Amino acid sequence: MKLPLSCPEGKCCRGKKGCTPGKGLPKVILIGSPNVGKSSLFNALSGSYTLVSNYPGTSVEISRGKGRIGEREYEIIDTPGMYSLLPVSEEERVSQLLLFNEKPLVYLHVVDARNLKRMLSFTLQLHEAGLPLILVLNMMDEAKERGIKIDIDELSRSLGIPVVGTISSEGKGIEELKVTISEFIPGDNTQRIDHGTEIEPYLTEIEILLESVEEAGISKRALSLLLLQGDTTALEYVLNADKASWNKNEGSKKNYEEIRKLTEAASKTTEVPFSYLLTLKRQERVNGIVERVMEMPDRRETNSEETGIIRAQENTGKKEDYTCVLQEKTKSEKQREKAGKREERKTQTRNIEFSDKIDSILVHPVLGIPVLFLVLYFGLYLFVGVFAAGTLVDFLENTIFGGYINPLVTAKFISLVPYPALQDLFVGEYGVFTQAVTYAIALILPIVGAFFLVFSIIEDTGYLPRLSLLLDGMFKKIGLSGRAVIPMVLGFGCSTMATMVTRTLETKRERLIASILLALAIPCSAQLGVILSILSGSPKGLLVWSCVVGLEFVLIGYLASKVLPGEAPTFILEMPPLRRPRLSNILAKTYSRMHWYFLEVLPLFVVASIIIWIGRLTGIFALALKIMEYPTVWIGLPPDAAEIFLFGFFRRDFGAAGLYGMNDSELLTGVQLVVAAVTLTLFMPCIAQFMMTIKERGLKTALLISGFVFPFAFLTGFVVNNLLKLLGVSL
Amino acid sequence: MLIENSQIPLQTTTLSSMEPKKTGKISHLETKDPGILQKLIAMGILPGMTVTLLRRSPSYLFEMDQTRYAVDREIANHIYVKY
Repeated sequence: MKLPLSCPEGKCCRGKKGCTPGKGLPKVILIGSPNVGKSSLFNALSGSYTLVSNYPGTSVEISRGKGRIGEREYEIIDTPGMYSLLPVSEEERVSQLLLFNEKPLVYLHVVDARNLKRMLSFTLQLHEAGLPLILVLNMMDEAKERGIKIDIDELSRSLGIPVVGTISSEGKGIEELKVTISEFIPGDNTQRIDHGTEIEPYLTEIEILLESVEEAGISKRALSLLLLQGDTTALEYVLNADKASWNKNEGSKKNYEEIRKLTEAASKTTEVPFSYLLTLKRQERVNGIVERVMEMPDRRETNSEETGIIRAQENTGKKEDYTCVLQEKTKSEKQREKAGKREERKTQTRNIEFSDKIDSILVHPVLGIPVLFLVLYFGLYLFVGVFAAGTLVDFLENTIFGGYINPLVTAKFISLVPYPALQDLFVGEYGVFTQAVTYAIALILPIVGAFFLVFSIIEDTGYLPRLSLLLDGMFKKIGLSGRAVIPMVLGFGCSTMATMVTRTLETKRERLIASILLALAIPCSAQLGVILSILSGSPKGLLVWSCVVGLEFVLIGYLASKVLPGEAPTFILEMPPLRRPRLSNILAKTYSRMHWYFLEVLPLFVVASIIIWIGRLTGIFALALKIMEYPTVWIGLPPDAAEIFLFGFFRRDFGAAGLYGMNDSELLTGVQLVVAAVTLTLFMPCIAQFMMTIKERGLKTALLISGFVFPFAFLTGFVVNNLLKLLGVSL
Repeated sequence: MLIENSQIPLQTTTLSSMEPKKTGKISHLETKDPGILQKLIAMGILPGMTVTLLRRSPSYLFEMDQTRYAVDREIANHIYVKY
């Protein structure tokens, strides 16, 4: 997700889709694992804004921007996180394909300075693949906080590439990085590494077979190595590239087949996969380098030798050991000089301890649940539901728009345009201005804005991965892993956005289940806000609604996980440290999400108004309403309520807004209100989400999902209505 | 298993059956499931790395080289630790 980038002096495409600022300029591509600060570096270099989050896997798309470094302009490209050249998830494949296809001036491999030992392996892979490379050690502050020292010059010498240290969140080191980029001379400094007798013969053979293939972004040797490790993207790439260069299928197919046979044969020669062997060897080299350039206070090993702390004491907590090491060191060194530093470090250690304590509450199997409910209660219910959807919307819609703006605009328009049909289109009951614009600004803006504000705060602290950890076990029961927590929570803001983020899930099956649940049981913030504020007067009604929707979520997830073929998901997630949220970060994120939302929502509101207008003129609207009245009456609602569902086709929240209107005019009883709220929550996704589901899951799947969701929503409404009546409940 | 010159007996277990708050070194990975193996090595979870198990429930949380990872039992069963 990204903000549309401003075009240079109106020269390029004036905000059209597919606008690629900086096209044709020398390219600088950011690459690296998730959550190392690529996006914030991208922002610093390009001056535009992509979402920077404290959870892995936010950038699911490639972002392009333009930046000026010295006298020259560059195209800056940000990529989804990637752990190694051999991809595991779909988002990694996006980045991998980019490596195959692009030929940039330079790649910036961004790593977390604290985790050099784990991340240098990818640097070596990139270097071996012959890519022009600068290594960026980001988060130098967090490394320092942990007492880690890195000899950057020595690291640069060891690797044979430029290395720069940065703190992208504070903008430190950016200037030095810019200088390094502008002075970068791409040279042929590819390191040829001997992979040993098990692998080399196969490698040579594949390289020969690849001779006819057009030069890719990465070296043929690196490509061969990937093929040997059974990488499907590389295999596909070779097939396509070969087809293109030969323009004849026969010869290429033969090459392709031979490569396939060769890799298959090769994989049988060793007991463990090649990728494992290669990684282990590479890690040995990394360890050698890290030993030379990195100094860190080893909390355990050196500790037990130097200070005589026996292992048993580790049970008291590792952070205390850490303090001990520091004290031990300061004693042996010049006391006076170090005293100040020691104090500083002590405070930092205390900070780490404090955040550790909070952390252990957040993910505690028992204590974590009430914390989650508190977050939901304050963030979602009180702030989004009661304050934004209640107080704020009431003020904006009734006082500002209803009282001042709309009467004024309507009167002006009627006096200027004497044609009733046009009057109807713009200022009528469903007019572009009186309905679409009013709803967009007075209803949707405050609710969605409030949700995104809350979400950004939660996201910036690093709470979401903790929630994943906490809920993984429960999510497994509905066929999802803890990773799916992130799109599910985001779905409470905008299900369309969330459907896009399901891309970060690992298996096809998980992505499908997540898409179904987002379409069915997760109400978006606009819907949720309206429903919460309508039902806030009736606590029992709210309880029934949340129980029904919650049950549907669990039931459908459970059934889907039983019915759909495929393996159960596994869960592995990096846990970033808890961070104090930054105001600038939160505001920028909220703004950027709302911007994205509005670009997508407002045009649809207008289109929906126009369609309804045409429908009303031609009588189709009346007919459609008549048809919709059947299921509406069937679930015990007055025929007029059909309007709500018809609006629901165009946008979920549009339908919710209709419900809001009916509630205002006191047209519904308590039971009817709950039934309508339940049905609407479960109802067909809005057009935008439907389009996104087509894009992510394919047309057939999207149609199947909708074909299930539509009748199911009414069926549930029917059951709830009759059950409540049968039990004689009045709400 | 006992190693001489050391008072501390060393044992190898999977991460999932390791005692919480203990620190050890990854001895090897289970290689039968290529999907999980690939995930582990991509994230740098490799033999020789020092790991500290922080918690076992609601899922496994361990620290390795300044980073924390959350994994489920299935994954934790694939990591063998000597401690």
